[in-house]
Amino acid sequence: MQLRGSKQAAVAGGAVIAALALAACSSSSSSSSSSAPASTSSAPASSSATASTSASGTINAAGSSFQNTFQQAAISAFKSVNSNITVNYDSVGSGTGRSDLYSNTVLFAGSDSPIPASEMSKVPAGKTVLYFPVFIGPITMAYNLPGVTNLKLTPTLIAEIFQGEITSWNNSAIAAVNPGVSLPSTAITVAVRSDSSGTTQNFSLYLTKAAPSVWKLGSASTIKWPSTAHAGAQNTGVASIIKSTPGAIGYVDYTDAKASNLSAALVQNKAGDFVAPSPSGASTDAASATIASDLTFAAADASSAPTAYPISYQSWDLVYSVQPNANDAAMLKAYIGYLLGAGQQLLPSLYYAPLPSSLDQKAVAQLNQITG
Amino acid sequence: MSATVQADPATPAGSASGLSPRRPLGDRVFQVLALASGLLVLVILVLIAITMSQQSTAWFSSEGWSGIFSIDWDPAHNKFGALAFVYGTVVTSVIAIVIAYPVSMGVGLLLTEVVPRRWSQPIVYVIDLLAVVPSVVWGLWGFLILNPWLQTIYAHIASAVNGIWILGNLFGPLNGNYVSGESFFTAGLVLAIMITPIVTSLSREVMATVPAADKEGAYALGATRWEMIRGVVWPHSQVGIVGATLLGLGRAMGETIAVALVVGASPTIASHLFIPGYTMPSVIALQFGEATVGVFRAALIGMGVLLFVLTIIVNLSARAIVGRNARRMRGTA
Amino acid sequence: MAITTDQRQVDLREPSGFRRATNQFATGAMWFAFLCMLVPLGFVLVTVIAKGAGIISWQFLTNSTIPPNILPANIDGMGAAVVGTLEITGFAAVMAIPLGILGAVYLNEYGGNRPLARTLSFFSDVMTGVPSIVMGLFIFTIWVLHFGYSGLAGSFSLACLMLPIVIRSSYEMLRLVPNHLREASYALGATKARVTLTVVLPSAIGGIVSGCLLAVARAAGETAPLIFTILTVEATNPNLFSGANTALSTQIFTNATQPYTGATDRAWGAALTLIAIAFILMIVARLVTARFNRYSR
Repeated sequence: MQLRGSKQAAVAGGAVIAALALAACSSSSSSSSSSAPASTSSAPASSSATASTSASGTINAAGSSFQNTFQQAAISAFKSVNSNITVNYDSVGSGTGRSDLYSNTVLFAGSDSPIPASEMSKVPAGKTVLYFPVFIGPITMAYNLPGVTNLKLTPTLIAEIFQGEITSWNNSAIAAVNPGVSLPSTAITVAVRSDSSGTTQNFSLYLTKAAPSVWKLGSASTIKWPSTAHAGAQNTGVASIIKSTPGAIGYVDYTDAKASNLSAALVQNKAGDFVAPSPSGASTDAASATIASDLTFAAADASSAPTAYPISYQSWDLVYSVQPNANDAAMLKAYIGYLLGAGQQLLPSLYYAPLPSSLDQKAVAQLNQITG
Repeated sequence: MSATVQADPATPAGSASGLSPRRPLGDRVFQVLALASGLLVLVILVLIAITMSQQSTAWFSSEGWSGIFSIDWDPAHNKFGALAFVYGTVVTSVIAIVIAYPVSMGVGLLLTEVVPRRWSQPIVYVIDLLAVVPSVVWGLWGFLILNPWLQTIYAHIASAVNGIWILGNLFGPLNGNYVSGESFFTAGLVLAIMITPIVTSLSREVMATVPAADKEGAYALGATRWEMIRGVVWPHSQVGIVGATLLGLGRAMGETIAVALVVGASPTIASHLFIPGYTMPSVIALQFGEATVGVFRAALIGMGVLLFVLTIIVNLSARAIVGRNARRMRGTA
Repeated sequence: MAITTDQRQVDLREPSGFRRATNQFATGAMWFAFLCMLVPLGFVLVTVIAKGAGIISWQFLTNSTIPPNILPANIDGMGAAVVGTLEITGFAAVMAIPLGILGAVYLNEYGGNRPLARTLSFFSDVMTGVPSIVMGLFIFTIWVLHFGYSGLAGSFSLACLMLPIVIRSSYEMLRLVPNHLREASYALGATKARVTLTVVLPSAIGGIVSGCLLAVARAAGETAPLIFTILTVEATNPNLFSGANTALSTQIFTNATQPYTGATDRAWGAALTLIAIAFILMIVARLVTARFNRYSR
């Protein structure tokens, strides 16, 4: 019967395909392999952040989901600037992004925080990681209190609310900060995230810096919130809790808060002023941050300027300084240069804040340290 | 098993037993290939066990046995206790089988006893359709449509049973008026929908093995259909159906994506069912991305190992139960 | 045959009112159970079709770039994800199906009751229960960390998922083949391989193929293994073996939780596409069963 022949053919075909697969895999190196031969080492090592280069190939990147909206827009705009380079960015999360960098499966990793001390041993020996900041973003204190606009909050109040110590809106401490506003006696419902995220990490970092004597829950991508908190997954989960629960307050990225139409509270900064979240407020805040020589910094609560919005955070693209070949180095310089240059103009329409110009210049200068 | 007669001395008769040197090469090669394919399963399982355990040793060594099963999941302070996730997995899976068991049994009986053979096709189509809907689609629908809708329903139920003895603890609001569409119960419901097709198909197979003679005997004695089912079909197939349900339980415990989207994300241990929870597979999916390499990641992979072990135990129990039932039934048949 | 059930006019066997009522109640309960299955199915299908049909277009299914989340629904489409799903699932099937059928052949034809065969059967049962996320983490650990993200890694994880299902369903089908067919063939002097390939497999082929197609349909919808292995990207990658890839299931998962309506609309469109693919596979499986059953009867 003809089935026997086709069965054997199927087995043989499967073996052939398996053999081909093994051959293909062993011949391709890590995902940083490019389709162009190494003769493109004539790529100009220019110090300006231009995207024009003769490098070509694919950049695989992964990391922070905070960067995702920006990366998607930049990747799509970059194609018209340099169609030879394809960039893939997957928002798997900062931790996996960094881990992919350590194992060389991506060319750059997006991370909302510098490499923590516990991970330093995972960085391959002899490799230096360069940090390229890409933007600043505010975190809003989104709330749902019908009839109350322009709610004002201090860092101490925020810490106490999120630790479950203040339980109703007409608490005297909140009223003291909001003179003239009639606060209802509604119970406060705290909306938080329990899937891990850079937003949680940086929000808790802000609280450890701005209210150190009050905030006890530490700083990490997942926090052990009090049992009275309502948890949702992702910014949208938190946003939907806030929207559907009168009396709710939660922390939501500015980009997502805008997309979900949430009201945001004014937060008191170091100068004592109550500032509404905005990209310019975040940039002002970041401009005063102490920038380390490797370009790491913490934007949260950094500035004493009157217009600074204190709950701001940042994200970096992490790259090895020494690349395996010249083409990879050139591609990275082109794309990251784009992010630091023309790409910054995409940020306002996406509700992120561009980097302060001094920081941007330092980052552009650091591009020269990528060698291959 | 085979008695062979050599029709022609020139062509050796293939005997089933042993690799006799007179067997043609193709026959031997085929046997080796088949054996290798069978062994592949073993190889993969062993590799999974080894690599995942290796990756999670940091968790075991930093927490110890008591730490692993503590209720405290606090990455900010390096505490990784998994009890809340184990609890969530158990609760959602139990809800799933409590709902799926009667439904599957009912539909299985419908197909084997009530509906005539030629009209059973539409029902079988429905079961098959339910089985092919991918889990991510259940999750998408659950997250965007079901959760908000159920939240209003839960709010009504919760206010109705608030304060009533057991019902209040199960279905009442937590801490005042907290009910959530994303909850243990929603996750259990979605899981039930997802496992019902498998449990139904298996139950149907089990119920189809009931000897017709027994059934006809019952009818001959004047039993109604329900009495026949109770007296003949059930004793024969009950244990098999339990086995099928346990297999559904195993599947429910391991389901990741649909649950991650509808369970909320809150490590909680409480009797209330309308509040967000967390299960082992969903915490791995939701927290792996930001987990720092080190104890945090080892803890998540370690939970994968725990899940692996738990689902194996459940599946083996199912198999053992079905096996014992088969032996028992053979004796009384 | 059961003469008694249909006869209402045989007075002596007429059950009492209570018994009849119980019987009717039980039948009603069974139909209610069926309704419990039908309602969620109808609910989800109607929702997916209603929300997805407006997005689906030839452009949606074939356009090779997936637009940024922030853009509204009618720009570009999920073509890259469709290609990815078909590639990755197709290759996983190519790996898992022959190996699975061969494994089942070993268990049923060669293994018998020997300890090795019973152990392997035991372990393949164990493997059916391994959660898909564990498979994803496994391939992530042993393959992705060394060779990078690729559609191939995704195929491996899906193949690991499909293998025990194919073995199990093929084994059950092979067991149903009556022994006298085998014995007759041996009596005619066939070797074991020949008997298996030309007699046993063809008689079971209907069930085997439909079982394999259902396994493929299940694999096409899997998300968790792919999240760890393919690195969701935004452009079509026709090369399965190198470079990151994307798939409908992972796209749906990442889009589901976005606050932008364009992204969630695309998720519904992708969901409809995925259901359609799974549905087509299921229909083909049934057609195959029907055809081969007719053939072998």
